Amino acid sequence: MALQNLRGRVAWIFMDEDFDVDQIVGVKNIKIKDPVELGKLAMRAEDPEFADKVRPGDLLVGNHNFGYGHPHYPPMIGMRQLGIGGVIAESFSPGYWRGEIAMGFPQVACPGVLAAVSRWDEIEIDWADNTFHNHTTGKTLPIEPLSDGDRLMLEAGGLVGYLHARDKEEATK
Amino acid sequence: MGYTMAEKILARVSGQDAVRAGDEVLAKPDFVIAYDFPGYTDVIFKQMEEDFGIDKVAEPDRYALFIDHMVPATTTREEELHQLTRDWGAKNNVPVYERKGIGHQVAAELGYATPGAFVVHFDGHISQLGTFGTLAIGVRRHLLEAFVKERIKFKVPETTRIDLTGRLQPGVTARDVFHHIVRVLGPRGCRGHVMELGGDTIDNMSLEGRQSINCLAMFTGAITALMNPDEKALAYMKDRARLDIEPLFSDPDAPYAARHEIDVSKLEPIVVVPPSPADTRDLSEVAGTEVHVGYLGSCASGRVEDLEIAADVLEGHRVKDGFQLNVIPTSKEIMEIAAERGIITRLINAGAFISSSSCDYCFGRMGVMRAGQRAVSTGTLNVRGRMGSPDSEIYIVNAAAVAAAAIEGRITDPRPYLKR
Repeated sequence: MALQNLRGRVAWIFMDEDFDVDQIVGVKNIKIKDPVELGKLAMRAEDPEFADKVRPGDLLVGNHNFGYGHPHYPPMIGMRQLGIGGVIAESFSPGYWRGEIAMGFPQVACPGVLAAVSRWDEIEIDWADNTFHNHTTGKTLPIEPLSDGDRLMLEAGGLVGYLHARDKEEATK
Repeated sequence: MGYTMAEKILARVSGQDAVRAGDEVLAKPDFVIAYDFPGYTDVIFKQMEEDFGIDKVAEPDRYALFIDHMVPATTTREEELHQLTRDWGAKNNVPVYERKGIGHQVAAELGYATPGAFVVHFDGHISQLGTFGTLAIGVRRHLLEAFVKERIKFKVPETTRIDLTGRLQPGVTARDVFHHIVRVLGPRGCRGHVMELGGDTIDNMSLEGRQSINCLAMFTGAITALMNPDEKALAYMKDRARLDIEPLFSDPDAPYAARHEIDVSKLEPIVVVPPSPADTRDLSEVAGTEVHVGYLGSCASGRVEDLEIAADVLEGHRVKDGFQLNVIPTSKEIMEIAAERGIITRLINAGAFISSSSCDYCFGRMGVMRAGQRAVSTGTLNVRGRMGSPDSEIYIVNAAAVAAAAIEGRITDPRPYLKR
């Protein structure tokens, strides 16, 4: 099964390097589990209408080492609840990356992306040729290819699906 | 061209003659370790059974469970979680270690840090087993893979080599060295790599100090830390190692992604200023800042030499009235040694509040701060809300500086207290 391209608008650009994702919902809300509530809280401190503006498929853009610190899962549970389709960043903190890939949430390392987008640009990730396209500006950049393991995990929708796929593969051997 | 330790270890556990950084392998962890925590172990146990129909793990000796968070339990739900863990361990013949101390330390004491072994956990601070030449990786939710499959898919990481040189000044500890590394290399200095450490500073450092440094590798962006096991490390593990395998070492011509040399001979006590684990400064920059709570403990610090240097600082002094100094030795074994040496008595006499080993003071379950309070801490992390209110603050310092702040009620250089 091929991975479906990500296509949507840039819903937010995180300018900070080493961005701590807990700030998306705020540290005081980090123990909330309800996705709907988390969705409403996402970015509210920065843009009170964020949840209303986001459309399914929209994407987030980040700087270097996105997810540094002690990342928890609720912020991106909230983002997925709003329909956010993935995160494209200059580079990622490995722990954050691993956690979100296991959730089946696409993460894309794309050096140079920050300078290539403005908020609400229409962008696309083409997995077949590993490129980033900004349809608003016409700009194209290469992305870092996923490892086989990460690609299989995203294709399977996350860790549990991936392990089931391995079950099937091993059964046919 | 030679190979790094990480490459050699992953070649062995994936049944290959040789692997290189960037290769994706199916690796069989020698040990799969976890502590019980809601959302992790309880979910893994449930998923194993409900999603994969696995009743029992095949090789129980490869697994180890620790009960070190929420100890002692304060709610029935916590105790129920612990019971679930005990029951699962009993059913699976998997050992459950409880009230022995913080698992990352106890795992070393119990020989899971076998030199040359490959270990996975969900928690990244397991990196400290690298002190003994064990490749130990925190894989977060991917740990499920190691519970339902014999082998896990793993990309062989690159290695960044750091050589530390020079003799540390009195009152400057391994803890200062680690945060200095973050200051020099930055929070992504080793991003995605193994941080391999060596050099004469490490050669002369205690195992406890090395554990402290390796524990915190994640804050350089590294996925773990490794040290070539020397005589000291091999001697410690001689009667503890659980596997009879050969230790592995990086070759002199191993291909490192980067090499750095850092001179620590002039290093002063540091402070990591909230709310970022990357904001390392000289302690002198914030000296005088009023603080109300001191935490000496955690899987990073809280070992015998940390307790001893704190007792030395406090000798002849008292914890300031109203200041809360919480001292939690990292393990029961460490607490016993400290008790035998009289260190615990000295700390109690100076006014410290001492608890048995537990993770709970580090993540804001015990010793909780209200808004406006400020702590000096040897805990792992200083992000907002880590020890209570999001409007409290945590300054990370070494154990001596926690003790010095406890005397004065403000951040202060501990070194004058050690000159006697």
